[in-house]
Amino acid sequence: MKKTAIFFLTAIFLVFSAIGCKKKDEESSTINETGNPISITHWYWADNSEYSAKMQEIVNDFNEENQQNIKVTAEEYPWDGGGYSETLFTAAMGGGGPDTAAWKLTSTPLFIANNLLAVLDGYIDNWQDKDDIESSLYDVMREASGTDSIYVMPWNTQVLYVYYRPSMFKEANVAVPETYEQFLEACRKLTRDTDNNGTTDVYGFGMRGAKGGQEPWGSFIWARGGDFSDFTTPQAVSGMQDFINLYKNKYVPPTAPTDGFNEIIANFKSGRTAMTIHHIGSSSGMVETFGDDVDAFPFPAGVKQWTSMGDTENVMFEACDNKDAAFEWLAYLATGKGQEKWCITTGNVPVSKRVQAMPEFQENKFMKVSIQGAPHAGIFPILDTTTEWINTIWPNTVAAALAGQKTAAQAMQDLQNGLYED
Amino acid sequence: MHQRKAGIWPYLLVAPALLVVIAVVLTPVLNAILMSFQSYDLRRPSAIEYIGLDNYQAVMRDTLFWESLWRTVLWVVFGVGFQFVFGFSLALLLNKPFYGRGIVRSISLIPWVTPGVLIGLMWRWIFDGNFGVFNDLLIKMNIINQPIPFLARQDTVFPAVVVAIIWQGIPFFALMLLAGLQGVPIELYEAADIDGANVFQKFFRITVPSLKNTIYVTTLLRIIWVANSVDVIFNMTGGGPAYASQTLSVYVFNKANALNLGYSSTMSILLTLLLLVVAVPYLKSMFKNQES
Repeated sequence: MKKTAIFFLTAIFLVFSAIGCKKKDEESSTINETGNPISITHWYWADNSEYSAKMQEIVNDFNEENQQNIKVTAEEYPWDGGGYSETLFTAAMGGGGPDTAAWKLTSTPLFIANNLLAVLDGYIDNWQDKDDIESSLYDVMREASGTDSIYVMPWNTQVLYVYYRPSMFKEANVAVPETYEQFLEACRKLTRDTDNNGTTDVYGFGMRGAKGGQEPWGSFIWARGGDFSDFTTPQAVSGMQDFINLYKNKYVPPTAPTDGFNEIIANFKSGRTAMTIHHIGSSSGMVETFGDDVDAFPFPAGVKQWTSMGDTENVMFEACDNKDAAFEWLAYLATGKGQEKWCITTGNVPVSKRVQAMPEFQENKFMKVSIQGAPHAGIFPILDTTTEWINTIWPNTVAAALAGQKTAAQAMQDLQNGLYED
Repeated sequence: MHQRKAGIWPYLLVAPALLVVIAVVLTPVLNAILMSFQSYDLRRPSAIEYIGLDNYQAVMRDTLFWESLWRTVLWVVFGVGFQFVFGFSLALLLNKPFYGRGIVRSISLIPWVTPGVLIGLMWRWIFDGNFGVFNDLLIKMNIINQPIPFLARQDTVFPAVVVAIIWQGIPFFALMLLAGLQGVPIELYEAADIDGANVFQKFFRITVPSLKNTIYVTTLLRIIWVANSVDVIFNMTGGGPAYASQTLSVYVFNKANALNLGYSSTMSILLTLLLLVVAVPYLKSMFKNQES
C-alpha cells in the first residue's frame, strides 16, 4: 500500500515538474532561436469607439511597416476615472501586465517604487528622433519620476479649456469671458428658465464633482491666487468658496457632485449646460453634435491663471522581454506615423515638433485655444498619495462641501491632509 | 466481524481538495491576518514592517470606519429584511396554480442571474438625475415637477442603493422558500381546514414552522453575502457622495484599491469577526432547533 502511495505521489510530482520545465522552455524562446515574430502587448484606453478603431489601425500599420518582425497586440481597457491605472498596477504586480502601456504621470511614483518600469534614458539618448520632442518635456518626465531617470515616454498632451455654445451666449447677451469675474458672472447669466415653467432648463456651467473633477476645480483655486502647495491659504479657500457658490446658487446641475466625464459631456451635448470644461479630445464629438455652434476659450485669468495639462504618455515595463522592440513601438507612437494619426483623430496636442507643424494642427480653432492655454497649464503634485486623493478623497470631500456639510476652509484642510498626509 | 483497514487512501483522496482549500482559502486568510499587523502599503513597499496593533488602533479611531459599520448594519437589516418579505410573498404567490406560472417563475429569476456590476450600472441610470427613467415616471405622474438627483443627494443615495440590492435578492428568497413550500404536506392544511383555522393561523402555525430551517439558512447566507457585497454600491456610487453610501465592505475595497492593504486587511478581519458574532449564535440556534 505504501509503495502504491509513494508511486502515486512521485508521479504527481513528476507531472508537475514536467509542466514547469515546459513552461520555462516556452518562456525562454525568442525570435533569434525560433524565427517567430517578437510579440509586444500594449495596453491603452480610448474615450470613444473612433479612437479605439484608430489605435487598432495604428497597430496594424506598425505591424506591417516595421522591418523587425515586431507584432504589437493592443488591448483596450476603460479609463474608468483612473481605474485603468489600478487595473494596470494589479496586473503588473501579479505578473500578468503588458510590455508597454498608455500612461498618466500621476501613477509614476507608485510603479517606480515597486520596480515595475524600465528606465528609458539609454534608449532615448541613442534615438535619432530625440530632438523632435521639446527637451522640457523630458524634464517633466524626470520630475514626475522623482529621480534623475526617464521612465515615461512623451506621447501627447491635452490642455483643459472651456467649451461654450455661442448661440446660448447670444440669447443671454453674454460676451466671451476675459476675466475670472466675468466667467462667474456668465455662469449666473447663462442659467435660465427658457420655457418659463418655473424650472431651470439650462445651467450656466457643467461642474464635474466626481473623480477627475479636481482638474477644472484647480483653475478656480488659482484664479483667486491660491496654488497646490498649500490648500489652506485664504486665497485657495476663496477659490473653493466660488466653486461651492456655483452649486449653492444652482448655476450648475443638481447632479454635479456625482457628475463625471460622461455626465458633463452628455449635459453639454443635450443643451442642459452652456459651458463645461474639457480638453480637445472631445472637440470632434462636439462639432459632430453642434457644427459651428460650439467654440472654446481658455479658462480666464483671475489673480493668477492655471489650467490642467492632461498628459498621456507611454511606458515600458521592466518585465518586458524584448525591450528594443518595445522601444521601437513607443518611438513610433511618439514621433512616427502613430503620433500623426492619433493626434489628428483625437485632436490632442502632439509632442512631436514635426507633427505640430502640420496644417491639421495649425488651422484647428480648438488647437489654437489649447496653445493659448498651454503657458498656464500645469499638473497636480505627483506624490504617492495623489492617486487616492484623486479617486476618493477629492470627490468625497468636495461633495460634502457642496452639500454644506463642510465649510470651504474645512474642506480645504481635509484636502491638504489627504494629499500631504499632515 | 473483520473490518478492512482504510490505510492511506482516504487521505490521498481527500488531499487534492484539501490542497485547493489551503491554497485558495486558508493561505489568503492567513496572509490577510499577517498583513493586518503590518504597515503593508504598496505605495511605500520599502517601508513595510510589523507594527503590532497600530492598524487596529487606527481603525478604532477612524470615524469613517464607524460610519461605514453603522451603514452596513442598516444595509443588511433593510436589504435582507425587505428581500425576505418580498421574496416570501413572491414564493407564496408562485406556489399557487395560475395560468403562465412557469413563465412568471422564470422571469422572476432575472434579477438573481444578472451580474452585480450590471445591476449597479442599470440602477445608476434608472436613478440618474438628468436622464433617469425613474425621474421621468415621477414627472409624468405629476408627483414631482423637476428631476431629483437621487444619487447625488446624501439623503437619497443610501435608500437608492438599498432598493437596488433588494431588487437583486428577492428571487433568491423566492426560489428557496418556494422549494420549501412545495415540501410542506398538503394534509397539514387539510387538517387545519377541518379544525376551522383561518389563513393567518395556517400561515403562522403551519407554513412558517415548516420552513423554519430554510428561513434560517437562506437568511444567514444573505446576511453574509449582502454584508460583503461591493459590486452594486461600487458601480452605482463608489460609496459617495461624501461617503454617504459607503458600507464597510466598500470602504475595505476602496482602501485596498488605494493599495493600503494592511489597513484594508485590518478592517476585513474586523468585518469577518462581526459576521461570526452574528453567524455562530444563529447556527447554534438552528442546530439546537433541529435536534429538539
